[in-house]
Parts: sequence; structure tokens; C-alpha cells
Amino acid sequence: MEFKLEAHRIVSISLGKIYNSRVQRGGIKLHKNLLVSLVLRSARQVYLSDPCPGLYLAGPAGSPAVPPPQPGEPAAGPPAGWGEPPPPAAGAAWPEIEPQPERPADPAAPRAGDAEPGAPMTGAGETVRGGEVEAAEAAWRRVEGPCEAAEGGAGGPAGGSDGFPEGLREARRHCGCPPGAADRPGPLGACPRVDCCCAPRPAEDEPPAPPAVGPRKRGAAGVGGGPAPGSSPLKKPRRNSEEQSGGAAEEEEEEMETGNVANLISIFGSSFSGLLRKSPGGGREEGEGEESGPEAAEPGQICCDKPVLRDINPWSTAIVAF
Amino acid sequence: MLLSLPALHLQTSEYHPLFQLPHGRLGPWCSPTGSPAPLSCETGCGEGSWILVCRLLVPTQVSLLSMEEDIDTRKINNSFLRDHSYATEADIISTVEFNHTGELLATGDKGGRVVIFQREQESKNQVHRRGEYNVYSTFQSHEPEFDYLKSLEIEEKINKIRWLPQQNAAYFLLSTNDKTVKLWKVSERDKRPEGYNLKDEEGRLRDPATITTLRVPVLRPMDLMVEATPRRVFANAHTYHINSISVNSDYETYMSADDLRINLWNFEITNQSFNIVDIKPANMEELTEVITAAEFHPHHCNSFVYSSSKGTIRLCDMRASALCDRHSKFFEEPEDPSNRSFFSEIISSISDVKFSHSGRYIMTRDYLTVKVWDLNMENRPIETYQVHDYLRSKLCSLYENDCIFDKFECVWNGSDSVIMTGSYNNFFRMFDRNTKRDVTLEASRENSKPRAILKPRKVCVGGKRRKDEISVDSLDFSKKILHTAWHPSENIIAVAATNNLYIFQDKVN
Repeated sequence: MEFKLEAHRIVSISLGKIYNSRVQRGGIKLHKNLLVSLVLRSARQVYLSDPCPGLYLAGPAGSPAVPPPQPGEPAAGPPAGWGEPPPPAAGAAWPEIEPQPERPADPAAPRAGDAEPGAPMTGAGETVRGGEVEAAEAAWRRVEGPCEAAEGGAGGPAGGSDGFPEGLREARRHCGCPPGAADRPGPLGACPRVDCCCAPRPAEDEPPAPPAVGPRKRGAAGVGGGPAPGSSPLKKPRRNSEEQSGGAAEEEEEEMETGNVANLISIFGSSFSGLLRKSPGGGREEGEGEESGPEAAEPGQICCDKPVLRDINPWSTAIVAF
Repeated sequence: MLLSLPALHLQTSEYHPLFQLPHGRLGPWCSPTGSPAPLSCETGCGEGSWILVCRLLVPTQVSLLSMEEDIDTRKINNSFLRDHSYATEADIISTVEFNHTGELLATGDKGGRVVIFQREQESKNQVHRRGEYNVYSTFQSHEPEFDYLKSLEIEEKINKIRWLPQQNAAYFLLSTNDKTVKLWKVSERDKRPEGYNLKDEEGRLRDPATITTLRVPVLRPMDLMVEATPRRVFANAHTYHINSISVNSDYETYMSADDLRINLWNFEITNQSFNIVDIKPANMEELTEVITAAEFHPHHCNSFVYSSSKGTIRLCDMRASALCDRHSKFFEEPEDPSNRSFFSEIISSISDVKFSHSGRYIMTRDYLTVKVWDLNMENRPIETYQVHDYLRSKLCSLYENDCIFDKFECVWNGSDSVIMTGSYNNFFRMFDRNTKRDVTLEASRENSKPRAILKPRKVCVGGKRRKDEISVDSLDFSKKILHTAWHPSENIIAVAATNNLYIFQDKVN
């Protein structure tokens, strides 16, 4: 179990780094983001391969020893790593999700803007974008602090380095909502049990896309926080074409992986070109493609693709999205 | 693929430090007894002890002298600079490099400035000052830029400096930031023309009606002035961040490497470069590794190596094809499965690769180790040295605070017998390849009395901590030594600790 927690925590931190890299001076560093994506992939594998079927992260740990991270991507279906009851994923972006037996909701249902069916389960429940946005923002603020203290963080969301350390420390708590959780407005206030431990809230708030991203907004125990607010400013430079895919991407509920993480990715939204791509070969990683001018076009276009089943490295590809 | 241009004549062997070790050179190096002691490269790190020669602060912007001022920049007194206690981020040294004779030492910082130090000339009056480096020239090499097309700011931080061998009285060096490489000429001027007809001494134009006689301008001595001028600007060739530059042994070409591509340039041509390595996949989502460092072979102008983020090194031969995507040799050590963790990939990423002076070996630095490879053996390194293995259990924390991404450099000494690299807490490590001994030294202000002998440090990993040992938990990870340089022929090292430059030399009794 602690492997899962550890993996979860690492995933949160990694996403925080990716987020912050966007606002760093000097542009996004391909090498660092590639390494972070590798860590994300490893953590994801561990998380998925940890046999805790249907177990909320917050719940009592009943899982047996976690197998070491497998290099190959096990489409860890059954374990359903996070075991959170993912609200029906907005199928839009993610047509086929890896089998998640414990998935309570049918992932296929696109939730365009409707409240997450799983909302009650997630606890966070808020699918309201607006609320999420602020909440996410607040949460996001927390995660940014320590991770990227040096980088100065993003303007808006970047603020708080204060909350983060505690957030991190609490990552391990079950349902570890950071102390500040209560402060957060709206939906974020509740601690979504599933992933609450420092799960970055994929507060996708794709301004253009109304879909209820919210689902997985775990109480981002200060870690993942709401990329939502961040994502807005982040998205500004994005091309409009990406908005669509971004919105679509947001839809899908956290697949097996950390739902919140998935959401976080959606938040990064369209930027994540390969996020939704299914890679038969597995193990595909991308550096961010945002950097290069000529390459900039690629992510956008890829983004618009139908989300392929996220396979082994969802985030890895996601990172390119930058 | 090289254009036919007048070839720069190769430097003579007298400039090759490799072939001219100062065996017989006796210098009155500081020695407590006052008797001259020979200093030779054969002295390993274990036999001698290291003393601090001087600690230099990069001149801050306030005191930066412009090139037009007629001030002897070499007279800038270090003592005033040493007293500065503040350090802005722009002062953080980002690269250190000796020139081929060791007479000059160049540093680049995050603010885009280059500061060149020159060794104090030996003089009978001040014997003990031999070996000190003083500021020779300072100039702003790169400025921050903004790429409007991508809405990205381009940092002015100097990533690398490489000297060209000296061909005439002027010195040439290449400096690069993330996107642009510049060739700078540093020259001395000690005469100026006087006696113009159309201008007066201040340069103002004279009224032609007042000119009744003509005279020939003459050159008169003036105070020595060192001026730096940009001779070439090699721009717009890199989409990703440049991480390395390397001058070829033919002295006509050099290469610049970014994350995914390596370009070959001719010094004379700035609007073209040849792409010789391109590892960018057609689909960026399939990217698995990036180029982290590259260097030309010291003697064979057709060979170069580049390292990757996966811990592999590729040796390429430019004669094989124009695009060297296919390597001639591939160096990789199989991973130890017992050490696998979330961060295995990060710590196996190579941050620096350096050819030995002999050209027979390459040294690579990854996060925890330094490895020496024989070019003739590709399946594993011949030597592996643990730099700070006690950090292996702390990788998660180091990941959180971003220290795991630090890119440490490594250097050879002149005779390839000792290798050196940096660590945290302002520690740096030296490994003697022959005796297999190693030492940990610290570059800190507390030890920075001139001529003070450095005491070896030790990090205790657990259990009882002896006096003088430092426990792993009390290491200061914000004080890291990423950049070091070793004099090409003598045992003098330059260590950059944040905004301080420490120069140590070996004192042999």
C-alpha cells in the first residue's frame, strides 16, 4: 500500500513540476520534462500494478505487497490502481478505457458539463467548473510551492509555497486532505477520499469546455491542486483548436490511474498531444513539443485526435503537450 | 562538406599541454618552507595537498567596466570584490574553462556575462603571488531575448565557454546561451594613434578652415586596455536548448548540440550550419531520450561523442555519412536491476562527457557516479567511481527539491591520472585513477584564507558520526558545485561555488 501512496505522491509532484515548467523563464526544458514523464510513468505503473482492487486510496490498506514497477506497461486492468470510483468518464476523449472492473460508472458517458455521477463518490463532487476553478486554483497553489519554489511558479496559481510542504507531508494520510483543505472553497473543500492524498486535482477548467471536469478533483491535498486556474492561463497561449480536444480530454474520468492525475492532464488539456493516444508499442514518451516552433503545430493537431486508450504512459505523452 | 577556406594553421606542439608536461619546470610555488618545489602533473591527488590560491567573485553589474574605459582591468582588485556579501542570481557562475595554456580562465554566469581571469605573471618581487588569477576582461556576452513567435523568453545564461587555441596575439573564445553561439575576440591594446588632422584629440571634428598643416598620425603608448569584440554570431540554428559546444581539432569547425540535434559550424560562416545528428522522432510522443552533452575527439577531427539521457554514449564518425544518426560505437552499461527505483532513469542520465587528453578514454558523469570508458570497450566502463552514493536513499527528496536534475560536470587533469567532479555542500571530489584513492574537499568561505591547506572532508552515512564528519542530513543542497576546471598542465583547479570562484593549487612538499 505504501507503494501506492508513494507512487501517488510522486505523480502529484511530477505533475506539479510539469505545470511549473510552463511558466519558467527560458522556456520549457525538454530534458527535464522528459525525465519527469519517465518518473510519472514508473509511478503510474507501480500504482496500477498494486493489487488493491476497488480500494480507495484513503481506505484501509488491504493490498498485498506491491509488485515492483514493471517496465512494460501492464494494462493493469483489474487492479484498477486507484480504485476510485471514477465518475463516468467523458468518453469523448477516451473511447476505450482499460478495463476497470471496479469502475462504478460507465466511463463512456461523456459528461459534458453535467455533474459527475461519481461526484458523491469522489467526495469532491463538485463538477461545477466555476467552483472548481477557484478550488483548483487554491489547491494548485499549494502544490506549486515547494516543488518549484525555485522557478517562481506561475503567476496566478503559483502563489503558495506555504501550503505545499504540509500538503506533501500529508500525502500519505489516508484521505489526506491537507489542513488547508477546509479553506478551500467549494468543492475542493471536501476531501475526496479516493485519491485525496495529494492528488493533483485535475481541475480541468477548460474555459471553453464546460464539461464537468471536476470529478476528480480530489481534495488535492495541497498537491495537485487545481490546475484549473492554472490551466486557464496556461491555455491562453494555446491554439483554439486545442481547446476542443482539451475539453474532450477532460471528460474522461480518471481512468485507471489516478483520476485526479488524469484530470490534471486534461487540464493541461489540449497541450497534451499524446495524452489520449494509444500506443501499441507502449512505453512511449514524449518530451514536450511545445518548445519548438515548428513542432508546436504537432501537439495541437494530435490533440484533436480521438483519445486513444491511454496506455502505459498517458502522462508521458501528456507532457509533450506542452 | 567543409567549404574550402584558407585553413587555420594548426597550432604547434608547444601549445599542446599533453605533450609538454612541465617535468622540469621548477616554480617557486607556495611552500611553507620557502624552498621551491617542483610541480608536476604526476602528483596524484593523494600525495599532495591542495591550498587555496584565491577566491574571486564575479564582478557584479555595478562594478562592471565597459570596454571603452581606459582602465587597466587587470588591476581590478580582488579584495574589494571579496567583500561583497550579496549575491544576485545573475552572478551565479554557470561555466568555467581554462584556455589551452592555462594562462586564462574564463567564467560565464547566469547574467550573460563572461569574466576572464589571467594568471599573475611570475615576478621576483612577489614570488608568492605567482599563480593568482586576476580579472583580465569582463564583457556582456549575451542578453536576454524574447522569441515573439513562441512567446518564450531566451535566457542569457552562459551555458558553455570554449577557448580556441591561440593563433596570434588575440584570444578567441566561443560562448553560448540556450540559442546563440558567439565567437569573441579578446585583445589588448596598448597603443593609440595620435595626431589626426581632421579630428582633435577628443575626437571632435576640426573646422577644415583651421587646418593649415598636415601631419602623419603616430602610435603612442597608452595604458593597457583589454577589449572584447564579438566577431561572429551563430544564431537561429537550434530549436531546443543548446547544452554543449566543442571545438574541433582542425580548428576550423566546431559543433553545437541541443537536446535533439547537433550542428556543425565553420567559424567563418554564420548563416549556415550542417546538421550532423538528429534524434528527433517524427512523432514527438515517441521521444525517449535527448542529447545531454557532446564533444569532439581531441585529435581525430572526424570523431565525436554524444551522451544521452538514457545513460548511453555514442561515438560517431563524420566520414561515414553526412548525417551521423548511426553511431560507430555505442557505450552502455547494463542496468543493475537491484537498484531500480522510480528515479533510476533520472540518475542514469549523463550530465557531462569528456574525452581524456590522450583521446583514449571518455569520462561520463551521471547523478551519483563518474565512469571512465575505454573507447575500445563498449559494453561497460573500465572504472566507476561513486561520488555521493549516500544520496541513493534520498532520491525522492532530491526529486522534490529538483536537485536530482542538477547537471554536474567532470574534468580530467593534464595527465589523465586524476578526475574531479563536484557534489553538494560545496564539496568536490577527486579520484586518482592510478592509486585508486579519492578525496573530498570543500570550497567554502570558512576555509578561504589564502594559502590555507584544504582539509579532506568526510560524509558519514549512518551510525556514529565522528568529529569533523558531516552527516548526510546536514548537507546543504543549495550549495552545489556543478562546474570545475583543471589547468591543462599544472595542478591548479578552478571550482565554481554559486557566485564564488575558488582557485586551488597543489602544494607539493
